[in-house]
Amino acid sequence: MSRNPPAAKSVPPPAAEAMYARHRKVYPREVHGLFATLRVLGASLLLGLFYVTAWLPWDGRQAVLFDLPARKFHVFSLTFWPQDFFYFAWLLIIAALLLFYVTALAGRLWCGYACPQTVWTELFLWMEHKIEGPRNQRIKRDNAAMSASKVRLKSLKHGLWLLLSLYTGFTFVGYFTPIRELTGALAQFDLGPWETFWILFYGLATYGNAGWMREQVCIYMCPYARFQSAMFDKDTLVIAYDDQRGEPRGSRRRALDPHEAGLGECIDCNQCVQVCPTGIDIRDGLQYQCIGCAACIDICNRVMDKMRYPRGLIRYTTEHAVAGHAGRILRPRVIVYTLLLLALTTGLIYAIGQRTALDLDILRDRNSLYRETDNGLIENVYTLKIINMEETPHRYRLAVAAGQSGLTSLRLTKGGLTVAVGAGEVRSLPVVVSVDRHELRQSVNRIEFVIYAEDNRSLQRREVARFLGPVPEDGQ
Amino acid sequence: MEDNPTIPRVQRVIAVLWPSFLVAGAATVMFFTAFDPHDLADLLSRGASSTAIYSIGFFFFWSLTVSACALSCYFQRPCDRARTPAKRA
Repeated sequence: MSRNPPAAKSVPPPAAEAMYARHRKVYPREVHGLFATLRVLGASLLLGLFYVTAWLPWDGRQAVLFDLPARKFHVFSLTFWPQDFFYFAWLLIIAALLLFYVTALAGRLWCGYACPQTVWTELFLWMEHKIEGPRNQRIKRDNAAMSASKVRLKSLKHGLWLLLSLYTGFTFVGYFTPIRELTGALAQFDLGPWETFWILFYGLATYGNAGWMREQVCIYMCPYARFQSAMFDKDTLVIAYDDQRGEPRGSRRRALDPHEAGLGECIDCNQCVQVCPTGIDIRDGLQYQCIGCAACIDICNRVMDKMRYPRGLIRYTTEHAVAGHAGRILRPRVIVYTLLLLALTTGLIYAIGQRTALDLDILRDRNSLYRETDNGLIENVYTLKIINMEETPHRYRLAVAAGQSGLTSLRLTKGGLTVAVGAGEVRSLPVVVSVDRHELRQSVNRIEFVIYAEDNRSLQRREVARFLGPVPEDGQ
Repeated sequence: MEDNPTIPRVQRVIAVLWPSFLVAGAATVMFFTAFDPHDLADLLSRGASSTAIYSIGFFFFWSLTVSACALSCYFQRPCDRARTPAKRA
């Protein structure tokens, strides 16, 4: 089922049954260095954004609020309606393309630095390290018999994890129910059943994924991990071990010149394996389990410094660079992705900028197709749904136009010609349209409703509707 | 269900729960983009909150997709290991 990237070397399993062995817990060792700092910065920024954005106010409401009951998504000054689903789909396409683009250029940057799974795991690991101590202590404690101190540390860790998870769930729900109201309800023990349910659901999912599942999420649950090999080429930035330089690996005294002893520069300290959050050995080649977090680069550079060897035995490189070829950044796929992304993004910004903040839905009366009046008129009844998507109230003027039908006797007979709709509101308006019976040449006529804001003529909407009448008699 | 030895159990459980969760989420979004829960509220129970209807909708879709994924998983078992008549002496 699992495909390794094409560039991956085949790794012989250490023993036949190793593939089916029970999952072994990974104890990542703490690491410091350039990439660890970048990772912490990235994680802090993203977590900060998630936890803080929910609290930002904007124009008397929450700045980012996916208001499901009202069916409106507020994102700062923009408000999106179900009618705007198209933009959401467009945005998702851009996001997917962006992921392909970044992957083609720089490999799994997303996984290593930005994926919520990595970011929360990072946070949970940091807490684990603070509470339970470094890797060796954690392994020793897990293998030791239950003791008072073990129970105390484990309960402290899980208690804090659960607390953070529940707060995460609370923040998540706070994007759908105004978070200040939610806080008030929580303080008075008056949370709705479904809010409570989703806080627990999302909270426990966070606890399970970041506390327990960790790298298994990347290996078993992530579709991207499986198909990213399709986006890789020989110029994609990957984390690789320089086996030309490193092999044959082996431990040695620092004073020893490895070349005289017939050794490579890998001292086989195994630290790159110990820091790996997915528990792989980068020296076995590119593997689909590698999330590109660069922890092995940081730790190996430290070891190289200590040994007074040059850095970069494990480094960001490309397959071409390793093979000694010149790398190319501008490849056809990169150019195509760039152009596509530019076009789609510009298009989306333009489309949102040009969006008319007014929508008109026309529903025909379901009970009768048409009716005839005593004075020779044919009437059709419609219900208009006028949606004011702006954050200011407007008065709209309504008219009917003949459109393709060419009916000159078309009139709006009932229903106000002007209608006030409050900010972000939907107003239903029943209207009756009439036509002189003698002017009708066919039973189905295409007419138009036109609506515009009285204070802003550019806020205009034109919608086609069907006007039905009797089948004209022969000879007319 | 018998264990398929080549695929860890955790992977099979995830293979049923996770893709169905994702698809149910997408289906919920698409369904409720087209239909307003207020219009459906009469069909369900009067007075149900929108959040309740969205949630029930999601779990309805998830129950469908979980069934499909579970069946796929079930039918992936090798056929020759299914019940065959006992060998005769």
